[in-house]
Amino acid sequence: MKATYINPIFIAAREVFRNMFSIELERGDLRVDEKIVPNHVINVSIGITGDLNGIILFSFPEEMVFKLVEEMAGMEFKEFDTFMASAIGELANIITGNAMSNLSESGYACNIVPPQITVGLNKSFSTASKKILIIPMQAGNKSFDLYISIKE
Amino acid sequence: MIWKEKYAIGVEVIDRQHKELFERFNKFLRVVRSEQSMEEKIADIEETFNFMGEYVIAHFDSEEAVQRKYNFPEYERHRKIHEDFKKDVMEFKRKFEENKYDEELIMQFSGRLLTWLINHVTGEDQKISKYINRKEEE
Repeated sequence: MKATYINPIFIAAREVFRNMFSIELERGDLRVDEKIVPNHVINVSIGITGDLNGIILFSFPEEMVFKLVEEMAGMEFKEFDTFMASAIGELANIITGNAMSNLSESGYACNIVPPQITVGLNKSFSTASKKILIIPMQAGNKSFDLYISIKE
Repeated sequence: MIWKEKYAIGVEVIDRQHKELFERFNKFLRVVRSEQSMEEKIADIEETFNFMGEYVIAHFDSEEAVQRKYNFPEYERHRKIHEDFKKDVMEFKRKFEENKYDEELIMQFSGRLLTWLINHVTGEDQKISKYINRKEEE
């Protein structure tokens, strides 16, 4: 998998977090793995089709999802429910959509598939490539991970 | 959904409409998230949804008129985003009419709408603001 995919995805995530939450995302050290085993409980996977194929998976700690959705809604939530899942799924959807727009400037024409939300640890995800890139994202005092499995 | 002054784009009519849109969405959200049963809140959901939906359409028209006035270069792209959104809302309305007690459908739609609206106002609409400011400086 080419590292050239990484920057457009990071830029999209950084802009959306900056605009919507006034949070400056920072990228941690890239890791490579052979499979996706998310570290966090709330996982949003978005399929990519077209010139590139695969998935981008956003792995969020539950506390962070509560914080983001509560900030957007201006109300408190007692439990993770369909509303929260849909709100955080749309956030991942917007970031991935913007990332694909950025990638189109490099000549890749791609579409995205609506987000799938999975809750819980030790879930496995099928992947398109043998190498998975993992980007740790620092968002203020919280962090989440992006798993990227894309091939041409 | 809380209005913040940093969301303003500096065009009075649009900022006023955005504030009103936030208020209308909040009314809808409070009803959707209330702990009443679906039977108890269904009439309020319909009323607040229609109240918000009609306003969104009128607001999009105003926003597109402002973009045309200033020859905003991303007008067509922005208009398509509005059109796709309207289709999405109509699709929700169609499914909702089929089964008004489908709470999952309502939660799914309103959660997505929350994120969509905030992103649209803080991302896409800010591009209009930046463009107008640049033009006025020239």
